[in-house]
Amino acid sequence: MKRHSFTSHCVLAMACGLIIALSLFAAPTKTHAAEKTYEIGTDVTFPPFEYANDNNKYVGIDMDLIRAIAKDQHFNVDIKPLGFNAAIQAVQAGQADGVLAGMSVTPERKGTFDFSNPYYNSGVVMGVAQNNNSTKSLNDLKGKTVAVKTGTTGAQYAQSIQKKYGFKISTFDDSNNVYEDVMTGNSVACFDDQPVLKYGINQGTQLKIVTKPAAGTPIGFGVKKGQNQELLKKFNTGLANLKKNGQYQKILDKYLNAKKSTTDNHSFFGILNQNKVFLWQGFLQTLWLTIVSIVFATIIGVFFGLLGVLPMKFFQGLSTTFIYVFRGLPLIVLALFIYTGIPTLIGTKIPAFTAGVITLMLDEGAYIAAFVKGGIQSVEKGQMEAARSLGLPFGKAMRKVVLPQGIKLIVPSFINQFIITLKDTSILSVIGIIELTQTGKIIIARNLEGFKVWAMVALIYLIVITLLTWLSNWGKRRTKI
Amino acid sequence: MSKIKVTDLYKQYGDNHVLKGVNLEVKDNEVVVVIGPSGSGKSTLLRSLNKLEEPTSGSIVVHGEDIAKKDANIDKIREQIGMVFQHFNLFHNLDVGKNIMLAPVELGKLNKQDAEKQAKKLLKVVGLENKFNASVDSLSGGQQQRIAIARALAMNPDIMLFDEPTSALDPEMVGDVLQVMKDLAKEGMTMVVVTHEMGFAKEVADRVVFVDEGKIMESGTPDDIFNHPKNPRLKEFLSKILAV
Ligand SMILES: Nc1ncnc2c1ncn2[C@@H]1O[C@H](COP(=O)(O)OP(=O)(O)O)[C@@H](O)[C@H]1O
Ligand SMILES: [Mg+2]
Repeated sequence: MKRHSFTSHCVLAMACGLIIALSLFAAPTKTHAAEKTYEIGTDVTFPPFEYANDNNKYVGIDMDLIRAIAKDQHFNVDIKPLGFNAAIQAVQAGQADGVLAGMSVTPERKGTFDFSNPYYNSGVVMGVAQNNNSTKSLNDLKGKTVAVKTGTTGAQYAQSIQKKYGFKISTFDDSNNVYEDVMTGNSVACFDDQPVLKYGINQGTQLKIVTKPAAGTPIGFGVKKGQNQELLKKFNTGLANLKKNGQYQKILDKYLNAKKSTTDNHSFFGILNQNKVFLWQGFLQTLWLTIVSIVFATIIGVFFGLLGVLPMKFFQGLSTTFIYVFRGLPLIVLALFIYTGIPTLIGTKIPAFTAGVITLMLDEGAYIAAFVKGGIQSVEKGQMEAARSLGLPFGKAMRKVVLPQGIKLIVPSFINQFIITLKDTSILSVIGIIELTQTGKIIIARNLEGFKVWAMVALIYLIVITLLTWLSNWGKRRTKI
Repeated sequence: MSKIKVTDLYKQYGDNHVLKGVNLEVKDNEVVVVIGPSGSGKSTLLRSLNKLEEPTSGSIVVHGEDIAKKDANIDKIREQIGMVFQHFNLFHNLDVGKNIMLAPVELGKLNKQDAEKQAKKLLKVVGLENKFNASVDSLSGGQQQRIAIARALAMNPDIMLFDEPTSALDPEMVGDVLQVMKDLAKEGMTMVVVTHEMGFAKEVADRVVFVDEGKIMESGTPDDIFNHPKNPRLKEFLSKILAV
C-alpha cells in the first residue's frame, strides 16, 4: 500500500518535472529533404550483417543491401548504430523508421513489427574454444555455462533447449563479449547465427563450430507495425530487383567468404594510428556534448537553485521537486526514458544529441540546483537581514550581498560538476550517440582489441579531466582572492 | 509626538507564544532601553519594529503607518529605521567603505561621490576614519560594530534599533561602542536599545522597559526601575544582574 502511494507520487512529480523541461527546452527538429531520408536503426556490431570497417564506415550484408536498395528506389538512409535492443526500441518509439540488424522474423516480433520479405535464412550453431576437445555436442553441456547475445536467435535457441540439456546461460550485449567469455573459459560454449560465428572465426576469433545449423529462421527488415508501409514496399521491390540483377548474391559472397584482412597493425600505436581520426571525432563529440550540456545544465540549475531560496513556498516546492526527481533518477534510465519516451508522448522524433543534452541538462542541472541552493542558504541569515534592514528590497539584497558570497562557496562545486558531466556523457552511448565511449565500442567490435582500445579511451578521458582539474584549481585560487 | 506606537502585539512560532500583548510607545528623541531575561522576547519585539519578524496580530505604527499590515511599503519605512545587530552582520563581500555606501547608492539617495564623502564623515564620527579601504574581516569586533552603526546611519534614519550591540564584544571594546551610542543619544536620535549594560541604561535612558515572558512587566525612569522596582520578577532579575 505504502509503496504504491509512494510510487504514484514519484510518477506525478516526474511527470511535472518533465512537462516543465519539455515546455521549456524540447524543440524537436524535423528534417524533410526533397529525397526522403529514412533513419535505419542497426546493431553496433553484428558481423557480417553490420560492423564498422577500417575507415569506420558501417558495412556488412545489411548495410550494403540497404544502400543498394536505397539507390535502386531513390531514397536516402541515415544509419544509426544503436545496438540491437536500442534499435528495436527506437523503432517502436518512432525515433527510427526501420530496423535492419540481422533480425529474425519471429511470431512474437510480428506482434509489433511489420517485416519485409526475408533476405536471408539463418541457423544456429554451437561454438567452442579451439583447444576444447571435450565439448562436441549438446550432450556435453550438462552443468556448464553457455554464452549468448541478447535478442538473438542463438539466445532463444539456448533457452528452448536449456532444460533438456541442463546448462546455465550467460547473456551479453554484443558478440565480442560472448566470444571472449568462451575463449577465457568462463563459458564452455556459445550459440550464435551461423554466418555470424563463421565470420568471426574467419576474422581470427579462436573458436570452432561443432554442430550443424539448427532452428533455421528467416531474417527480415522491420518497421513499426502499421507504419512506414511505403518504406517496406520500397525495400521489397528493391530486394527483388537486386536478386534479379545479381547484386544481392555479390553482396552475400563478399561478406560470407571474407578472409581476415592482413593490413591491420594490432600494436597499441598501430591501433591508435589507424583510428586516430575516428577517436578524434568521438572525442570532439564528447567535448561538444559536455560543453552544450554544461551551458544548459548551468542555466536550469541556477534557475531552480534560485527558485529554492525565494521566500515563496510554491517556488521552493518546485525547486525541491526538480532536485528530488532528477537527482534521484539513474542517468541511464533518464536517457532512455527521454530518448524513447518523449517521442511516444509528443509524437515527434528528437535527435539523439538533443535527447542527450536534455538528459544531462536535467540530471546535472539537478545537482547544480542543489548546490546553488545550498550555497546560498549557507550564507549567514544575518547578511540578508542587515541588507533588508537598510531598506534594500529582496532582489537587490540578494544580488548585492548574498549571491556574491554564495557564489564564492559554490565555484569549486561547479568545476567539479563539469568534470562529472564530462564523464557522464559516456552513458549517452546507450542512445546511440557516437561519443568517445561508443567510438571505443565500435573500434573494438572490429579489431577485438578491447584492452588496448579501452586503455586509449581511458587515457583520453584522463587527459581532459586533468586539464579540467587544473582549471578547477586555478578557479579555486582565483575565488580565494 | 510619538514615533513608534505598538498596540496589542502578539507573536507566536507554532505553539510558542513569544509576545503576548505588548503595548509600547516611543516618543521623538526618546531613548528607550529594553531589559529582561534571556528568551523573554526582547529581540522579537525589537525585530518586529522594522518587520524583520512578522507579527501574529496587533498594530505597529511607525511614522504614522501601520507596518503590521500586509500591504505596508516596508522597504520605504526601513530606510528610516537603522538597525544594529549583536553580531554586526557587516557584508563580507564588501570592504568597509562599500558597506557604508551600498544602501544610499543602491536606493538612489546619494551618488557615488557624495556617498563616499558621507561614508568618510561617518567613519570619523565612529572614530575609524582610516579604515575606509579596510576589509571587514581584518577588524576587531568593537571596530566592526562601530562600522555597523555608521552603515545604519548612512541612510540618515531618525530611529535606531540596537539588539544587544555589545554582548558579543570583548570587555575592552564595549566602551568605544557605548560612547558612539551615547553621542547619538545626545544629538537627539530616537533609540530603542536592548542591552544588559545597566550603566548605559542609567546614564542614557529616558525610559527603561522590563520585558518578561512576552509582556512588558514594568516601565519607568531609570530611577523608578533600578531604585524602586515594584514587580517581583524585576527585583529578582536586578538582584541576579547586579550580583554578577
Ligand atoms: N525564528 C524563530 N523560530 C522559532 N522560535 C523563535 C524564533 N525566534 C525566537 N524564537 C523563540 O522566541 C523566544 C524569544 O526569543 P528572543 O526574542 O530572541 O528572546 P530574547 O531576545 O529576549 O533573548 C525564545 O523562546 C526563542 O526560542
Ligand atoms: Mg535577543
